[in-house]
Amino acid sequence: MNGSNSAQGAQNSLKADKRKLIIRGSLIAVYVLLMVVMIFIGRRHTILIDNKDAQDGSYSAINGMEVSIDKLESSEYYPGDRDKAVVQGQKHTIKISIFDNNQMIEKTFTVPLWSDMMIISVPKLVAGIEPWIEPFTVAEQIEAAQESGPPAGEMSFQSLGSTVPEGTDQAAPSP
Amino acid sequence: MSAKNTISTFFSRYAVVIIFVIITVAAIPPSGLSITYIIQEIITRLGRNSFLVLALLLPIYAGMGLNFGMTLGAMAGQVGLIFAVNYGIAGWEGLVFALLVGLPISVLLGWMCGMVMNRAKGREMVTGYILAFFVNGIYQFFVMYMLGSIIPMGNKSIVLSRGYGIRNTLNLESVRQSLDNIVMLRVAGFSIPLVTFVVIAALCVFVVWFKKTKLGQDMRAVGQDMVVAEAAGIPVEKTRIVAIIISTVLACAGQIIFLQNMGNLATYNAHDQTGFFAVAAILVGGASVTNANIANVFIGVMLLHSMFVVSPLAGQKLFGSAMIGEYFRQFIGYGVIALSLVLYAWRTRKAAANARLSLRAGVNGNGGSGGARSEGEAAANGGRA
Repeated sequence: MNGSNSAQGAQNSLKADKRKLIIRGSLIAVYVLLMVVMIFIGRRHTILIDNKDAQDGSYSAINGMEVSIDKLESSEYYPGDRDKAVVQGQKHTIKISIFDNNQMIEKTFTVPLWSDMMIISVPKLVAGIEPWIEPFTVAEQIEAAQESGPPAGEMSFQSLGSTVPEGTDQAAPSP
Repeated sequence: MSAKNTISTFFSRYAVVIIFVIITVAAIPPSGLSITYIIQEIITRLGRNSFLVLALLLPIYAGMGLNFGMTLGAMAGQVGLIFAVNYGIAGWEGLVFALLVGLPISVLLGWMCGMVMNRAKGREMVTGYILAFFVNGIYQFFVMYMLGSIIPMGNKSIVLSRGYGIRNTLNLESVRQSLDNIVMLRVAGFSIPLVTFVVIAALCVFVVWFKKTKLGQDMRAVGQDMVVAEAAGIPVEKTRIVAIIISTVLACAGQIIFLQNMGNLATYNAHDQTGFFAVAAILVGGASVTNANIANVFIGVMLLHSMFVVSPLAGQKLFGSAMIGEYFRQFIGYGVIALSLVLYAWRTRKAAANARLSLRAGVNGNGGSGGARSEGEAAANGGRA
């Protein structure tokens, strides 16, 4: 009788331990889940809104338009303009109002979680050319610009002036 | 008790508050600031600092004095904010993320602090103060060397140009006033950060509720007499550790609330004076090393910060230099702590002397000497025969 009681007691304690472990485990899981949710809904992204012609001439900039993202203040864009909007979260809506034909375009897009900066080419979006939204990295842009070199007929600012600061050649050597 | 004795007790009990009220009121006219401006500043600073000062209550209830170790929690909060900025998490979500990162760190640090304080019973304040210096060294090492080298930091703009370590000042623009601005009430021309005050009110409710729980009652018992509490079966050391852990966690949250209001983080020294100013505030509010309540927190924050608002300008007008006001601010902060501690020591010594005299008078009275008894009572009552 005593033996069966102690065995039952041990079983109950095992059950309690197991329950405690499950509760603690689920609390940790909820904790981690909350952190992940905060990253998903709280991460900030910069969206560049671009209104420029294509280099290959496949599309051209829009003459005049008003663009707004989500509930942010709208801005007017003219050919060659580029501006930025800072958004939070991944899913967003862009509203474009073209002045020439009073056309209204509304599109929903998703920003990849770990992408800091994206560029939306509005002329591409209006023309229906995919992909109109692409990741944008400043370092890559500089690299690409350096690789392509200065456009013909233009001088690179690096070639301006002498490599030696002005006046240093005339300066007397220090003792 | 005579009226004279009552007044004397009142003045010795509230000496710091009275001195502070006099100095602040006297500094308002030379500062030239309008009452509206001062009230708005006090509202802002109440929202900014109250949570941090409330974090000091539980250790006082547990008889551990003023928790200078709250700096540990502040450091944990700062680590959380660094990660929130690194991952680009903005708004209130960034604050929650910072809290979630800082929480386990503050629990760990609080547990460590509690363990150390249990080995230094009776000297908790100085132990906490020195422990904060020790953990500050670890924090500096973590932020200056480990972040960016061992722990990768994706946001290069917050990393030093050498490739590791965090910059001296961190722009918290992404989370700046994100808690305050959720609902900003405009009442009679004053801006009131409603959500921040709701959070502070929730903490006050928690403190009141906590005092009524079994653990809260245990803390009071431990605070009154550790030996009696131990004899009554209360796990004294565990209770003290829990008090410090809760205080450290609250300090972590308090520092996050403080920094979101400020909008920038001095990475290597923002936490240095956290404990110092929180302690000064609660003492200015009329608390002592052994006795504090919620009212002390709010009175203290209002008084200390109204003095902080008016003193630089009063210094400039009176002495021709705003720096005088800044020195005055530091001087008052440290002075208040010193004065409170001195008054506390004086009161304790006086109470012990009174108790001794009463006891002696009682013994003599039992011996049948009526004359000796009345002499003892007179001595206990401050020499009034």
